[in-house]
Amino acid sequence: MKFSQVDKNNLGKKMKKRSRLKNDFDAWILFLPAFIVLYLMIWRPTVMGAVWSFFKMNAYTPGDFCGFDNFRKVITHTQFLPTLWNTVKYVLWSLVLGYLPPVIIAVIVNEMVHFKNFFRITIYLPAVIPAIASMLIWYYIYYPDQSGLLNMLLAKFGMEPFQWLNNPSFTIPGIMIYSTWQGFAGTMLLYYASVQSVSVELYEAALMDGAGVWKRAWHVTRPQIEGILILNLVRQIIGVFQIMEQPLAMTGGGPNGASISLGYQLYQYGFNSGGKGTGQAMALSVIMFLILIVFTCFYFWLNKKVEDRY
Amino acid sequence: MKRFDNKQTGLLSSSDLKAFKGKLIYWLFFAILLITCFIAVFPAIWTILTAFKDTREIYDTFSFFPKDMSLGNIGRRLSEAWNELQLANSFLNTIVMSLGSLVSTIIVCGFGGYVLSKLRPRGSKLIFPLVVWTMMMPAQMRIVPNYITMLHFPFAYDFGAGMSLLDTYWPMWLSAAANAFNIILFKNAFDGLSQSYVEAAQLDGCGNFGIFFRIMFPLAKPVIIYVAIGTLSAAWSEFFEPMLYLDKNVVTPLKVYRMQLDNKIQMNIKFMGLVLASIPQFLIFIIFQRHILGGINIGGVKG
Repeated sequence: MKFSQVDKNNLGKKMKKRSRLKNDFDAWILFLPAFIVLYLMIWRPTVMGAVWSFFKMNAYTPGDFCGFDNFRKVITHTQFLPTLWNTVKYVLWSLVLGYLPPVIIAVIVNEMVHFKNFFRITIYLPAVIPAIASMLIWYYIYYPDQSGLLNMLLAKFGMEPFQWLNNPSFTIPGIMIYSTWQGFAGTMLLYYASVQSVSVELYEAALMDGAGVWKRAWHVTRPQIEGILILNLVRQIIGVFQIMEQPLAMTGGGPNGASISLGYQLYQYGFNSGGKGTGQAMALSVIMFLILIVFTCFYFWLNKKVEDRY
Repeated sequence: MKRFDNKQTGLLSSSDLKAFKGKLIYWLFFAILLITCFIAVFPAIWTILTAFKDTREIYDTFSFFPKDMSLGNIGRRLSEAWNELQLANSFLNTIVMSLGSLVSTIIVCGFGGYVLSKLRPRGSKLIFPLVVWTMMMPAQMRIVPNYITMLHFPFAYDFGAGMSLLDTYWPMWLSAAANAFNIILFKNAFDGLSQSYVEAAQLDGCGNFGIFFRIMFPLAKPVIIYVAIGTLSAAWSEFFEPMLYLDKNVVTPLKVYRMQLDNKIQMNIKFMGLVLASIPQFLIFIIFQRHILGGINIGGVKG
């Protein structure tokens, strides 16, 4: 055993000396596509976006340095605070509606002895429908006249049609109900993997000690999946904070701006302002970045803690 | 019941399930799942049924089922929507775009992950944290600068050089490839493969590229399939980037998005468009169902 170890080490050293340079060269050649793409599509645009937020943009061409002018315009815009508050509402509603159900369903599916695979496959269906198609399906479900599914059902019970997404106080929860429906399955699978990996011995030991069903859920299942639960919480906050496509496709920001999120506002600045708002779009993205960086740092700190624990 | 006796102990054990309370909880769970399944499936069923209705039927009668469900009617409605929306054309475009995205993702993320995992040249220690941080940068920061880049590729801004990539698939191919998460997935997968494969091949006189293409890449098949499914599905559902970059070469998600804004198209055709546009992704799911439902383990917490 020991001899072969020495042999291997010697051989390794020789080969290292001979081909260290060639190795590095080959490696960088293989890495070149990744480097170019990351540089062009991620690193440079991130830096340039931050730099250009301090410049006056003529449509898509950078002009003169203008200090904090873009930031001032973004923040003093009358819609800025309502938009920020809308975005917070999106996050809060997504947590209220969509945070716990995937965990609960993952735990329950794991307990099934009948139709386990049927349940897993059926519940996954919403994730299989292309996002844009399912957004429009829900747009028609919420349709304000009686051809919409929900109003059709209301009509059956003899009730007046409701405005759904056209109602300013329902529009954000409405979009979040859709998002929960759509993203549910993916999150559930994530939890399912970690629920499955809770060891049977722990449950059996708890059973010996006379712990009931709920006690086992709280004292055995919960501690085992706590890490991924908290990680997903932060991930969900970061994700929903950037929401843009749903209001774009489902409400167009309406009614009266009640569903405009920061992300949607950024899109409007960048592509729907006749080229006047490009600088503001990038200033807004920097503001969003500064808010999110807090959560991102927290996420990495947490991720490290969770990894250390397992 | 026999199944109850063999149940692995979890929240419920087989001894619990002998008692009334345990059975009650079990069937309560069962009912919750049935309701969840119903909620998951109902919107899709409603869409399919509505797609087979007349426009008049959609607006005037509020019945759940279409009146005419004969095979002839179904065929007629399918071909009507297919032709009016010119879906053949957009399906073809989407196939080209999605395959391009797949190739570029494998080249960029697969090669990149391998280098970071196994070859680790000098300097790669600096790259890896950068890639991890990239993953957490909000994508919103890059939308406008990326658009500007695409106007004068590959330069960051206009100084008279560079070419416009508008109305080509390159923006989508490049941004599909620029996925730090996939690079890390590949890196984790290659980390899981033993270094002794590399050493054995080196002793046999296999070069770096030979080791990669002949030995390591085939071994990483599960993660390749997983990434491929994700990339192909994204190409069939992502409408935002095609909306920014494409005008003439319309891909299916973009067609669906624009279809909604077009008042000239009848309601039932719009619904049929939604159904038809969902079919490719549905087929991907059916074919790779085992990989999709099982493959999430690869993603794990390690992210």
